[in-house]
Amino acid sequence: MTYSRKSLIEKGILNLKKPLAFIYKDFISAASYKFSFLSQFVGIFITALAWFFLSSLFGGAVSAHLDRYDGDYFSFVIIGIAFANYLQVALRSFSTNIRTAQTLGTLEAMLVTQTSIPTIIISSSLYNFIMTSFRVIVYLLIGAIAFGLNLGKANYSVAILVLVITIVCFSSMGILSASFIMVLKKGNPLNWIFVNLSWLLGGVYYPISVLPEWLEKLSYLLPITYSLEAMRLALLNGYSFRLLLPNIIPLLIFTIIMLPLSLFIFNFAVKRAKMEGSLVQY
Amino acid sequence: MALEDITFQVAEGELFGLLGPNGAGKTTLVKVLCNMILPTSGKGYIFDHDVSRSSKAIKRLIGYVVSEERSFFWRLTGRQNLKFFAALNNMLSHQADTRIAELVDLVGLNNHIDKAFKTYSTGMKQKLAIARGLLTDPPILFLDEPTRALDPVATRNIRHFIRDSIVDSAKKTVVIATNNMHEAEEMCDRVAIIDKGIVKICDTITKIKAKIEQTPNYVLIFTNAIQQIRKNLQLPKQAIDSVRVLSMAPMDHGTRVKIEYDPQRVEPPDIMKQYIRLGLEIQAFYPEEPSLDDVFSKIID
Repeated sequence: MTYSRKSLIEKGILNLKKPLAFIYKDFISAASYKFSFLSQFVGIFITALAWFFLSSLFGGAVSAHLDRYDGDYFSFVIIGIAFANYLQVALRSFSTNIRTAQTLGTLEAMLVTQTSIPTIIISSSLYNFIMTSFRVIVYLLIGAIAFGLNLGKANYSVAILVLVITIVCFSSMGILSASFIMVLKKGNPLNWIFVNLSWLLGGVYYPISVLPEWLEKLSYLLPITYSLEAMRLALLNGYSFRLLLPNIIPLLIFTIIMLPLSLFIFNFAVKRAKMEGSLVQY
Repeated sequence: MALEDITFQVAEGELFGLLGPNGAGKTTLVKVLCNMILPTSGKGYIFDHDVSRSSKAIKRLIGYVVSEERSFFWRLTGRQNLKFFAALNNMLSHQADTRIAELVDLVGLNNHIDKAFKTYSTGMKQKLAIARGLLTDPPILFLDEPTRALDPVATRNIRHFIRDSIVDSAKKTVVIATNNMHEAEEMCDRVAIIDKGIVKICDTITKIKAKIEQTPNYVLIFTNAIQQIRKNLQLPKQAIDSVRVLSMAPMDHGTRVKIEYDPQRVEPPDIMKQYIRLGLEIQAFYPEEPSLDDVFSKIID
């Protein structure tokens, strides 16, 4: 089959239009709840302020573990919290969006359109990722302007690369989690276990070197450990791509294994739900 | 609902009704034809495309009117909703704008299309759902109980709109799922009556009525109150053998009871005698032609 140049351009525009339509729709919906929309940014300031005071009080206790980073505890923790948001969004938004669309009744109307189910699921999470990115920028700006977060050495291009790999890696876990919702409707054990382990052992609040040795070893099984480490070293120390390879390679391995696996399981879950007639049930 | 023995064909330009009681399998059947449910066995075709295998082709050919009002985004306007679904249906912006303008005109939502969906009346929501189903100008439209929850005026308008504008003028093929016999008779060229996942009969309503052997129903007017009749007849059990109470309605000074009976086993004078023996006072007793609902009941019983 051959396509003319015009039809290929049209196809490209149409493929781009769908995610944009989701982002626009979600923005209009979110912005219509004005108080909730604005209050999330006030919440970021309050969180940053709380961690600034906590780091003033306790930061010295972990300073020995922070030698490898060019920054204090506040810089360490604010980057951890900001970027751990991506894990939360990636793991929760795919499954939550399916469940919300099922309960609201909008899923059925979307499923009869000429858009594939994976496109619907991924596109419906884009707004959450954009807002998370916006929140991360606000976190870093507030940290830099008001609380002395020093990003003078930051290697932004490598940080963005790490972020992209991180999002794809976390999203594959999120798609896997959405498969559970597709079949089981509620009760997603994978999400619960993974989120809690990641926050506990992944180095969000404290360096993993403070953990007992066996827990520290366990933390190397979690992609967030590599992601946060690479992000801190890129933003605070200005590490190059080559220096970050020990963190980037495990992240890539996670992604290469998990992405096709999660897409395969998701397609299986959709087929099963279609055969059971439970695609839009909740 | 499991579907078991379903065979029917719909001609191009036909308004075809899937008629059946709640839980009969109408919605399941529509969803199978719209590729929302995969059948474990059996085949369905739309213009030679297998509904289970040719998802993309099927979705290009059909419009499915999801009547559920919650299938829209309530914080968006009617136009924003339609533009969103147009994008999901591979329509370019200028195509979508032109088509939305035509459809808004067709369904008569010109003055409301830029208002938030949450402000719409039930009838307006239904019209927007039909407009959404017609966005891609599909040759086939599926409607699942399109007049559910509408008031009588809105119901009449929607029925006329579907028959006159969509089928007769726009020459679309329409498959409508309904549990309303009158709606089917008013709108449909042919119907398939479905019950418990099985097609019981498929034809025009006139022919279906002719095919079903009809014994006249009888109406009894009692001077007794409805509670008294229930008690004496021990309803819902049927107190008299071969006689079935179809409906009861209170009147100013008594109760109107509609019955059917087996003429092979009992005659009207016997029925009257038995009611009198049960302590009821009969004011009138006369035959009445079976209604559409009676025919429907007879088929699915």
